[in-house]
Amino acid sequence: MDQAAILDHEFLVAAYVVVWVIQLSYLAYLGYRWRVQKKQGTGARD
Amino acid sequence: MKRLLIGIYAGITVLLMIWGFYQAIYVAPNDAMQGEIFRIFYYHVPSASVAFVFFFISLAGSIGFLAYRRNSPDRAQVADAWALAGAEVGVVFCTVVLTTGPIWGRRAWGIWWTWDPRLTTTLVLWLIYVSYLLLRRFAAGPQMQTLAAVLGIFGAMDVPIVYMSNRWWRTQHPGPVFGGSQGSGMDKTMLGAFFWNLGAWFAWGIFVLILRFVLERQQQKISAAEAQAALEA
Repeated sequence: MDQAAILDHEFLVAAYVVVWVIQLSYLAYLGYRWRVQKKQGTGARD
Repeated sequence: MKRLLIGIYAGITVLLMIWGFYQAIYVAPNDAMQGEIFRIFYYHVPSASVAFVFFFISLAGSIGFLAYRRNSPDRAQVADAWALAGAEVGVVFCTVVLTTGPIWGRRAWGIWWTWDPRLTTTLVLWLIYVSYLLLRRFAAGPQMQTLAAVLGIFGAMDVPIVYMSNRWWRTQHPGPVFGGSQGSGMDKTMLGAFFWNLGAWFAWGIFVLILRFVLERQQQKISAAEAQAALEA
């Protein structure tokens, strides 16, 4: 594998990792908001 | 029943994502000119497509809110929840576009960024919708939703400009692959990977969009209940 191909591969991996970090972080944020809201809702009913 | 349907949809989405990834990495051939780096295209372009569609959902929600806010407050709140969900999930996908693009650009062009019309208009689009989200987060008072709706409509006006930018002004960004001039298009062996990933990212986007919409509707109900309780106290 030549140097250019190795660099191509590293950039490709970086791009795919960045995409999944962004998407999964947002999903985790929504999950966190969901939990907070559930507690808030329970509190509001008490 | 509802939980089962959500589970089935989530399962199909995960399978689509895995299949899309497999197609992009193992099935599609390397690009003759760009080599392996071209595979970023299979995540970059579908993400841009999802962002554009979701910004239009935000536009429809914003118009709906302005249309219903006086005579049908319940419908206006539903429309507003769609506007917010579309804008927020659209920003997430637009962020993906604005990060994968420079990673590809660094390898293909040797630079992370250039003030090319496509890149600049996309950055402006992202900034408008980030402003929209900041307005919703930090502004208070009865006019906040109306102001946000106006900004949402204004922001969506940039979507066709972003889409047409590499047709109107030919500079650094590659020309349109689909619907471009003569000679544009993709090799048949790459089409499968592209369309599988397009479907997979739309499925993922719709899942997250609905989740965000439900979350906002719940928040609206909690806020309304709290306001009612405060009035009765």
